[in-house]
Amino acid sequence: MGRRLGRRTKGQEDDAVARGFADGPLSRDLDANLRELKAIFDRCSDVVFREFVFAQCNGTRLALVYTDGLADKAQVSDQIMRALALEVPVAAGGRRIGKGRALEFIKKRGLCMHQIAETDRLQEVVRAVLSGDTVLLVDGHATAIVNVARSPETRRVADSEVEPTVRGPREAFVETLRVNTSLIRRKIKSPSLKIETLRLGRVTGTEVAVVYIEGIANDKLVPEVKDRLGRIQVDGILETGYIEELIEDNPWTFFPTVNITEKPDRVAAMLLEGRAAVIVDGSPFVMTMPNLLVEYVHSTEDYYERFLFVSAVRVVRFLSLVASLTLPAAYIAAVSFHHELLPTTLLLSIAAQREAVPYPVLVEVLIMEVLFEILREAGLRLPRPLGQAISIVGALVIGEAAIRAGLVAASTVIVVAVTGIGSFVLGYRLSIAFRLLRFILTLLSAALGLFGLVAGMAVVIIHLCTLRSFGVPYLSPIVPTTVVDLKDVVFRAPWWAMFTRPRLIARRDRTRQAPDLEPGPPGARSRGRR
Amino acid sequence: MRGVAIILILALLAAFCGGCWSRREITEIAIVLGMGLDLTPDGRVGLSLQIARPGAFYGGGDTAGGEGRVACWVVRGEGETLEEAAAYLAGKVPRELYWGHSVVLIFGEEMARRGVGAVADFFGRKREPRETMWVTVAEGRASDVLECHSVLEKTSAQAAAFLVTMGLGTAVRFREFVESLADEGVEPIATRVTVREVGVTPCPGEAGAVGPHRQAETSGTAVFRGDKLVGWLDQAETRGLLWLKGRAVGQVLTVRVPGKPEGWLSFRARRQRAEIVPRLEGGSVRFDVNLVAEFDMVEQGGIGDFAGPDQIRGSERLLAGAMEAEAGAVVERVRSAYGSDIFGFGDAFHRKYKREWHEMKGRWDEEFARAEVRINARAFVRETGLLTIRAETGRE
Repeated sequence: MGRRLGRRTKGQEDDAVARGFADGPLSRDLDANLRELKAIFDRCSDVVFREFVFAQCNGTRLALVYTDGLADKAQVSDQIMRALALEVPVAAGGRRIGKGRALEFIKKRGLCMHQIAETDRLQEVVRAVLSGDTVLLVDGHATAIVNVARSPETRRVADSEVEPTVRGPREAFVETLRVNTSLIRRKIKSPSLKIETLRLGRVTGTEVAVVYIEGIANDKLVPEVKDRLGRIQVDGILETGYIEELIEDNPWTFFPTVNITEKPDRVAAMLLEGRAAVIVDGSPFVMTMPNLLVEYVHSTEDYYERFLFVSAVRVVRFLSLVASLTLPAAYIAAVSFHHELLPTTLLLSIAAQREAVPYPVLVEVLIMEVLFEILREAGLRLPRPLGQAISIVGALVIGEAAIRAGLVAASTVIVVAVTGIGSFVLGYRLSIAFRLLRFILTLLSAALGLFGLVAGMAVVIIHLCTLRSFGVPYLSPIVPTTVVDLKDVVFRAPWWAMFTRPRLIARRDRTRQAPDLEPGPPGARSRGRR
Repeated sequence: MRGVAIILILALLAAFCGGCWSRREITEIAIVLGMGLDLTPDGRVGLSLQIARPGAFYGGGDTAGGEGRVACWVVRGEGETLEEAAAYLAGKVPRELYWGHSVVLIFGEEMARRGVGAVADFFGRKREPRETMWVTVAEGRASDVLECHSVLEKTSAQAAAFLVTMGLGTAVRFREFVESLADEGVEPIATRVTVREVGVTPCPGEAGAVGPHRQAETSGTAVFRGDKLVGWLDQAETRGLLWLKGRAVGQVLTVRVPGKPEGWLSFRARRQRAEIVPRLEGGSVRFDVNLVAEFDMVEQGGIGDFAGPDQIRGSERLLAGAMEAEAGAVVERVRSAYGSDIFGFGDAFHRKYKREWHEMKGRWDEEFARAEVRINARAFVRETGLLTIRAETGRE
């Protein structure tokens, strides 16, 4: 704890070694600097060196270093080169200035750039060039000017594909960090929204941003997140998944303890409840933390649609949560152990379907489950139009044929199909955890009947009770029970009743709105409930 | 962490060491739907089981699986005891007998007259048969009931169970039967089942239409004394019994209206309650039975306008009188003919006079036979349906 961002540690010295050059100060001699940089960028064909002479000051040589494709070429030619090599003499009224004042003059009057920075470290120069900035070196000065003129080429902000909604914003994050931070900033126009960036990955030098709202986020959360991020010493960060596995509370669990979303509105809502978000450059997914189990049962739409309807839909989701975990196991237990559990007519009907099936129920269920997994995987990997065809062939043709061939009973197909579809109702990441657990529970149930299922569920529930995400119990607010926060678990309170933020996530300043917002017809409206 | 993982894996493996303990695939069991117990001519126990043929229950429809085939199979075994008879059946039925879905237990008349205590013991001890199955006594042989067919239901056992459930007669679950067997203050009863030849009009031109055939139906109550059957009550007497038991909801009571030769009123009980108040006065036992019932008027004839408060009050008096008469008749009949206390008078007395009961229970039969029973009924009419006057009288 308490380790500051950007503090030089032994690990960061190792970064330099990994990058292949030693850090040092810039020289006053332009040639020396260029020699050094050209040595660093040896065989980097995309790095461009452009030398020219400053028009205002005879003999003052300038050099631009930038990466082709990352820097905005039009801005480099127009706003930097044209300004410095041609236009400046006119603007300065014909007076010449000395070499010593060249840097100051360029900074103040010469550049038509919206954002510049200065540096005297070689490492900073290299990093700027590789990030897409354009570095201007001035002869006789040991300071370089970093012009932020990155190429605007990036994927367009498009509809969310992983988390589609009927009502609510459709936009999704893209791969560029700055676009993503802007999407969040557009939703939360407050200076309290803090976006702190750091670089992770000794070779990739990936930009990572920690986002939170000061005053709402828990005091201990943000330093903890930054501390965990600061500990990461790996070669490369290509996706949020790299970071997730390095900062989890419990790495040995089936359950995800860091939430991932591609929707800016979801991130904004999480931030407003006091969570922190981590954005990784190059990934269209944003991590939010701490993460609770109930988040996977909720959807952003829950907060946009009418609360009574939403509460009813959430009951369905919780049912499918239970079903997707235990249905095949319960089916096996009922059919091969506890025939008493089924109504007589259903028992006879299942018995009739199974007359011709040669396998025990377990084998039958496993055949269908594995088949289902194959179809799902195929649907994911294939190009989209083909994926649909595969699911139709799989679901309709194979299922129907398997029943007709007497390979599986119709009731088994129903159970496996309901389970599979039920798991899609939940958040994708929880459903993949359930997929694994379901197989274990199925085997337990086939060996020991309901006893096995109940024992297995007991282990799962005990495990869930011990899980924490950034110190917050994973099952909260159900276990431990926080009565006020049950307003948003199965039942979703209407917005005028959502007085407080979740207690275990945002500990400070929990009130989030005025107390008497319940609307009504004019006159009947309550004027301040006391 | 690795240690924990290894322990988890070992625990998981240990869980499978049991090797599918007590697993029984659904295709390996013979599902018993109904059980019948008869006395064989040589005095042994005959066990008849109605076993479902799952193929006939296939709901899919398009596979010709069991269409038009018999849905069940009745097997018979015999032995000195029930368990022996069941073991004998293991050699006849290629699957393991599964008793958990048996809905009805049928005693043959002879078996019931000899005594059913041992049988109750067998089913009480066995894990699978349910306490909720219906207990019935067949007039004649129990196997006849299992062997006949139902037009509506797939099997006669299910048909018999539904008849007991839905019908208006006596309905006794196995648990209640055994409880009253053990209880000194009340004697057991069971539903009486009769097999009759019925003529069902075949649907014209339809294949597989059902002609006249044998069918089981409920026909009253079987009265026990101890664990032995002593006699029967018919449908009307059963209604009298139900008034006394407070279970007469749904019963229809028709009364003639005095002064109007063609006038009658029909009522259906919507709520009913009975209370037995024992009194010990100078060594003689007296029972006051208070019956309360609420009725809906469902049908009438020859009355004309029926809506006024006077008419309703009058009919309430008539109903109370009818209830008293029916209940009184059945008490006298059962007392004199069978000497059995199926109404629970003994229990009521026991509850109120604990000490005296212990002295008297040895000679309770005589006390009960001597005891005076006064029945006092109150009836209330709640609804008279959608009409106030009969359609044809409205024209006059």
